[in-house]
Amino acid sequence: MGRKMKDVLAKSIIYLATGITLCVLLFIVGFIFVKGISLVNWDFLTRDYNEKVFYAFVQEEVVPMTIDAASLSQKDPYDKRYESSLEGPIYIENIGAAIAKVAYKNNATEKEQFVFSYIEKDSPLLSAIDSTGKKLSIGTDYILESINGTDFEGLSLEDVAAQINHETGELKIKVVQPGGGVRSNIITTLYMVLVSLLIALPLGIFGAIYLTEYAKPGRLVNIIRFAAECLAGIPSIIFGLFGMAFFVVALKFQISLLSGSLTVAIILLPVIIRSTEEALKTVPTAFREGSLALGATKLQTIFKVVLPCAVPGIATAVLLSIGRVVGESAALLLTAGTVAQIPGTLFSPGSTLTVQAYYVAKEEGNIELACAIGIVIIVIVIVLNILSRITSDKLNVFNKK
Amino acid sequence: MEAIKRKKLKEKIVENIFLICACVAVISLLAITFFVFYNGLKPFVSNSYSLWSFLTGVEWRPGSNLYGILYMFVGSIFATLGAILIGVPVAILTAVFIAELAGSKVGKLIRFAVELLAGIPSVLYGVFGLGIIVPYVLKISPMAQGESLLATILVLAIMILPTVISISETSLSTVPMEYREGSYALGASKIQTIFRVVIPAARSGIMTGVILGIGRAIGETMAVMLVCGNPIAGIPTSIFSQIRPLTTNIALEMGYAAGVHQELLYSTGVVLFIFIMIINFTVNKLVKAKVGS
Repeated sequence: MGRKMKDVLAKSIIYLATGITLCVLLFIVGFIFVKGISLVNWDFLTRDYNEKVFYAFVQEEVVPMTIDAASLSQKDPYDKRYESSLEGPIYIENIGAAIAKVAYKNNATEKEQFVFSYIEKDSPLLSAIDSTGKKLSIGTDYILESINGTDFEGLSLEDVAAQINHETGELKIKVVQPGGGVRSNIITTLYMVLVSLLIALPLGIFGAIYLTEYAKPGRLVNIIRFAAECLAGIPSIIFGLFGMAFFVVALKFQISLLSGSLTVAIILLPVIIRSTEEALKTVPTAFREGSLALGATKLQTIFKVVLPCAVPGIATAVLLSIGRVVGESAALLLTAGTVAQIPGTLFSPGSTLTVQAYYVAKEEGNIELACAIGIVIIVIVIVLNILSRITSDKLNVFNKK
Repeated sequence: MEAIKRKKLKEKIVENIFLICACVAVISLLAITFFVFYNGLKPFVSNSYSLWSFLTGVEWRPGSNLYGILYMFVGSIFATLGAILIGVPVAILTAVFIAELAGSKVGKLIRFAVELLAGIPSVLYGVFGLGIIVPYVLKISPMAQGESLLATILVLAIMILPTVISISETSLSTVPMEYREGSYALGASKIQTIFRVVIPAARSGIMTGVILGIGRAIGETMAVMLVCGNPIAGIPTSIFSQIRPLTTNIALEMGYAAGVHQELLYSTGVVLFIFIMIINFTVNKLVKAKVGS
């Protein structure tokens, strides 16, 4: 039975190939989660990538320690950049917090720093304000640089503790919020999604309306379709080159949020045109005829009858687009830059999550951090995937009726 | 009368707005082509660098005014070929499994996995490559570094999977049931039917998937940049050699390049662009041929 053997062999090869595909996916997602998960926490999501130095004003107030000494020493400020705890921690009553001396590593440089290792619930540090009276929060693992102008560099932990216990009244402390977070990248990504959709959605939807509702088959339509197809096939680095030559240099928008969004908007156009066209095509012709027969104009028919029916399809287009913007990196690298900051205006640069992941992996060789950013990205991608499934199911339900 | 006229005028204006929006795609394509070619051809037109040494040079040393891209071109081709060789068989067989063998539940699950694979941004493939593939390649490599043609091929092979799978699967499932039934009636087994009837019938769709996969592999930048090594010279001689594909050349240096150096990065873009356009035209022809038959 040679044939049966062959069949079994072929079948097992097919199963093997499918197995490989699934394993690869599991392996990649697994790798990113396993490597990055230890870094993902609330601080990671809410802190900026760069350190932030600020002055805080704190009203001195004696707060006794509520935990015992053994559990205090257990509370090490957990952060990957603290290589080792050098001294302490020591609890200081008049600010209601414990500080420790640690070797603090930031990028390549390492130095000795004092950090808050434990803060009491009633500590005055938690009701600190800045010079304008705005509330600040000081957390564990923040670095303490000076109090009332006395710089702590080079001092021993005991000296520092004595120094702080000596102070009364309002304390002006200089603290450093450690970096390493992705808040600014998340916000930049959000801005990028908003601005590029604002540009690309109307263009894409109106273009699709023209193609499905107005255009007669012919040369022009073929050219537009071909152009959209070509755009879909161009690699993003070429879009980046164009964005750099046109938006950044020729229009003088600089490397900025605006240049990035405009470039990405062009990348989104074919996606939006295609999905909207598909959605419009599923609206039965009878609906249009009914509306026209009631005396509605073509325009009224489109906006009051056809578009509302196509809403789930357009929602799918929006979700797909968001996915594209979140995943885009090569074009944005050239047009929006790698600065981890929240762009203050349309004309300032900022790096999205993916660009940041690249930057961290390539320039700093920090795979863990890149994976941690990857987890955030994958979670977004999965959520978008599920949502787009729901919306496209809606469109299908409508068709079956 | 006046009101009707105004209504008609409004309709006409809006129609034209729609038309303009539809034309934005065409305008963008023309603008992209113009800007990339204009900047990219400048150095050769103004004779600040010879086209011949650009196309045949095997060294890229902006410091000593040497800009050759032949070795990058070769690297791009090798990486793409390797990725196709490894990725395409796996992808087609997976598509066969989803379309022909899997039950609807299992098929749905794998389809979801493939969609997820397609949704993962390319940077993360690069991070994965850098974290897993590069160290493993280093273990078996005679070279001092793991960044290599082999690592690039493996990353790209994974990245083209979703493209090839989803397009092949669609075209496999559009093969009419009668073909299969006819084959069964002639006494062929399920597997024989798949390999002798269904796959040949879906040939052109599968080809489209493969060519789109080639497009993705050639145009891929960020993932490749992390695992290819980016040497400044040298045609790759083994799978452990480092390579510098055309795309990464642009992305690496665009940030700080100026003058002729920058223009020649655009020229690199032109070469890439021509390549991609050839691929696009081929896909277009294939799709048309399929519709025609």
